[in-house]
Amino acid sequence: MTTAAAFATPRLLSGVLRGSLLGPLAAILLWELAAHALTGAFVLAAPSAILVYLSENWALMGRALGVTLANAGAGFLIGNLAAIVLATIAIVLPRSDALIRGLALLVFCLPLVATGPILRVVFGPGPWPQIILAALAVYYTTLIPLLVGLRALPSGWLDLVRSYGRGRLAALVHVRAMAALPYLIAGLQIAAPAAFLGAMVGEFTGAERGMGVLTIRAMRGMNVEMTWALAVVATAVAVIGYLVIGWVARWFLRDEPPIILAPPPAPGRNGRWFAALINGVVITCAALLLWWAGLKLLNLNPFFAKGPWDVVTALFTAPDAAETRSTLAGALGETAVFLVPGYLAGLLAGAALAMLIILVPAVAGTAMPLAIALRSVPIITTAPLVVLILGRGALGTVVLVAIMVFFPTFVACLHGLRQAPGRIIDVLNSYAAGPFEQLIRVRIPAMLPAFFAAARMNVPASVLAVTVVEWLATGNGIGSVMALSASLSDYDMLWSAVAVVAILSALGYAGVGLLERKVLRAYAPEQLL
Amino acid sequence: MNTRTGITRRHLLATGTAAFGASAALGLSSRRALAQSKVSFQLSWLHSTQFAGSYIALQEGFWREAGLDVSLQPGGPNAPVEPPVVSGSALIGISAADYTAAAVEEGAPFRILGVAMQKNPFVIASLAGNPVNVPGDLEGKRIGMALANTPVLQALCTLNGVDIDAIEVVPTQYSPQPLVAGEVDCLLCWETDLPVAMTIQGVDNVTMLMADHDYAVHSQTYIATEDSLANRRAEIVALMAGEVRGWEAYRADTDAATALTLEMFPDAGLDLETQKLQAARQVPLMFSDLTDANGFGWWTDETVAANIETLALLGRTVTPDLWDRSILEEVHGA
Repeated sequence: MTTAAAFATPRLLSGVLRGSLLGPLAAILLWELAAHALTGAFVLAAPSAILVYLSENWALMGRALGVTLANAGAGFLIGNLAAIVLATIAIVLPRSDALIRGLALLVFCLPLVATGPILRVVFGPGPWPQIILAALAVYYTTLIPLLVGLRALPSGWLDLVRSYGRGRLAALVHVRAMAALPYLIAGLQIAAPAAFLGAMVGEFTGAERGMGVLTIRAMRGMNVEMTWALAVVATAVAVIGYLVIGWVARWFLRDEPPIILAPPPAPGRNGRWFAALINGVVITCAALLLWWAGLKLLNLNPFFAKGPWDVVTALFTAPDAAETRSTLAGALGETAVFLVPGYLAGLLAGAALAMLIILVPAVAGTAMPLAIALRSVPIITTAPLVVLILGRGALGTVVLVAIMVFFPTFVACLHGLRQAPGRIIDVLNSYAAGPFEQLIRVRIPAMLPAFFAAARMNVPASVLAVTVVEWLATGNGIGSVMALSASLSDYDMLWSAVAVVAILSALGYAGVGLLERKVLRAYAPEQLL
Repeated sequence: MNTRTGITRRHLLATGTAAFGASAALGLSSRRALAQSKVSFQLSWLHSTQFAGSYIALQEGFWREAGLDVSLQPGGPNAPVEPPVVSGSALIGISAADYTAAAVEEGAPFRILGVAMQKNPFVIASLAGNPVNVPGDLEGKRIGMALANTPVLQALCTLNGVDIDAIEVVPTQYSPQPLVAGEVDCLLCWETDLPVAMTIQGVDNVTMLMADHDYAVHSQTYIATEDSLANRRAEIVALMAGEVRGWEAYRADTDAATALTLEMFPDAGLDLETQKLQAARQVPLMFSDLTDANGFGWWTDETVAANIETLALLGRTVTPDLWDRSILEEVHGA
């Protein structure tokens, strides 16, 4: 399995416990000192001040955490159940596989900034927008590993089921489900922090209580201790969720849960281009049909619910179509300036840290906890902080996008590097080739499939990051256009922006897949079989 | 003065609690007996003293007496106000003349029924050491604001003959931090939020109210659809009557209104001192000689004309028909 990766949660935990606690301790000390040096700038709160705030306001924070956790939990459950149902359908009806993958990717590419207000309008008051946004944030990262896992078994087992005269359903229950369990766990692990982020974004659409509500209050009130306390609590909860799922998994599984980030590209066949084209057309038609039928079924008011035809009109035939197009193109251009460097920097940093850990294993003790924390920090609380610290130029946004991309890439690359065939490493050892030589000649080629899988999966993740930062912190680009058009009732613009962003994200995903095939053909042709 | 405030607040809370207790004791049956009609009221932001008049109306039973069971829906940074009103899930919403005008251009059949903020709350906030006291002071300064608000700054400049090219616009998030950190010289914000936060944090600051320099845009306006105005008129009148009473009580004692707000929304993360100051600063925006003479929420042909003029500078074309005073006239018995 090219995409399955063993990720050592238990090893990591014990590494943290017995290894260098020194690194994190030094970091906290530095943080404390920096905060005291920056008093008066209202940017950084010292760890001690955060603790004081938490001890004085634990009841308020606890209630808010309870509300947001409940919504995130419900979304986590719904999103993952939906992923399991979709994956089951795709396995039982193999013809539907491409369609399910395509639609699932498109829906995952819808920007949260714009879906939030639409969900609020559809569901009205109450927790449902929060829950649905949490579900939307998690289902894709569970669906994709599951689709891999349900097929990750020796074909002999399926033959055995068939020889007993049993059908696909029996195979699913008795063989595939068991084989998929580690993959499901891996998906759930990634889903835990994402669900929390989704629930917090949902609270921005008009909620009475929760961590998201307190975050808005803290930022506007220039309450630095409160802002940092919220970020710390949210991060801690997400990290705990991540670790607990890994720990629970050990009760079920003998092997450690793998990390899978994206399915391998479809196997190459003759007429691949034609098949891809047909596939694209079918997915597009299905998406348009669902969009149109959804609006009809929900009976939404056309003032804010725009169908495919409204978007086509707004973009091409309306009197101000040229203006709409140029607004969108300008905003997308602004966004690309942050998105592309951040995306590439995240990929490079992830791969580089993984390589560093292979060369200097001692780094892992400090780097791993930091990496997990970075992955888990809800971007909503950190976006304004990072921009405060790094300034509102390009740097802050680029760094935030890079942070979102970094961790999945890092985990995937680390696994890929460790997967280098042992016999080849032995050969290099016998020639007295050093670790660096081994890295260049064996490990990096072995890492490439995992690296590209992460690169594809990170396209929608980086779009999410950049739009959230633009909306909350910097106020430019497509994220800001979407927020602004919602407040000015320009729903033609909003839906057009959503459609364009989703299509571009899906195309970006496909483009990375194309590049992947080209590179793998040269460096790892066995992966394409 | 302090003792008087204290008594009034205690009185207010006592009656509030008593009313609440009574309704709880009577339970559902009494509600059914009174034939309460359920009404949703969409606010424009998170719960805070910004809407304390409505909380008083709710707690004191001003709406219950009139047969309305009102639920107050909070807004937020990503919460749409206009769609629930258009679709009828909210009977009334809190908007502002510029947002309403934009929605009407997109086909929403809105009317403005009342104006809670007579003076637009936009200010230019600056530090006391480097103040912006009049629009002319803006020239040569760096202003932090959302780029989306450029038309607002442009309108202020046009109205006061200031060269906007002489102002450096720095796109910032909505926070006082860039000003305090010295990244900008002033901020475009509301009188009642960021300057209040700075004052509470001990940062000496100055505000220049744009409304005092001819920027006339009615804010915190009550909107409803033409359809609701025609078919649910009695409910709208009752709702607005409760609002008027609630805001009069708010004006009489903003500290008591603040205490009530914190009591009703303990999970909103509100700070008592911040909210008290916000409540007090809101009063001169909401009450004027005009409202003293005619009642809360009032407007005249002259103020509407001034609004139309400023809205035109913001790129919005509206007619006086956008404002419908018939509900207020019924409420105030004019």
